[in-house]
Amino acid sequence: MRETIAAINQIHADGVIGKYAIGGAVGATFYLEPAATLDLDIFVSLPIYEHLKSRGGKVQDEYIVIGGWPVQFLPPSNDLEREAIAEAVSTTVEGVDTWVMSAEHLVAIALRTGRAKDYSRILQFVEQGAVDHEKLQSILQRNGLTQKWQKFKQKYLEDAK
Amino acid sequence: MSKPKLRARLASLSFTEKIKILEKLRERSAKIAGSGLRKDRNGRGTKRNSESGK
Repeated sequence: MRETIAAINQIHADGVIGKYAIGGAVGATFYLEPAATLDLDIFVSLPIYEHLKSRGGKVQDEYIVIGGWPVQFLPPSNDLEREAIAEAVSTTVEGVDTWVMSAEHLVAIALRTGRAKDYSRILQFVEQGAVDHEKLQSILQRNGLTQKWQKFKQKYLEDAK
Repeated sequence: MSKPKLRARLASLSFTEKIKILEKLRERSAKIAGSGLRKDRNGRGTKRNSESGK
């Protein structure tokens, strides 16, 4: 993973991409216990597959393998994802600088995506107290997800009490 | 150690330590996939697993 993130940082340093943010299961691992995943989701504004291929990256389906990890570069498809990149939290992995989405943005994106594994991850965030609820409400409201959150809460959080 | 306590302990590790665990989980998953132990709906090792060694 160190090699993977260092390579992505080099692309950033080369000016090919702007700020990026780790999302998905690896992003969630910043806040929760580690969960098995096979790939790394990087949210970034520019399509960079051609650049990476020219530097020896191997394209595998929608992934490009960097440092042994299949990496999926995901251009933000809405304001929520753009905001998640802009407000990503800086951290380090084995001494390499990187950015990870905030817990609240990861939860909001998981809610919008809405697969079973996304809901399961949201529950982990809530159960482990990894979310600032005031900040989450503000993000949900800005992005038209308040109603969906109410339904999620009713189904998975209030019924469980 | 109870499961919630273990989860809380794991969650409190540094990102670097968590990534190391995540890499081990990934290696283990790849080994299981490569062993042909994952079965298809008919109870056989999957063709993809046995052919690609994934």
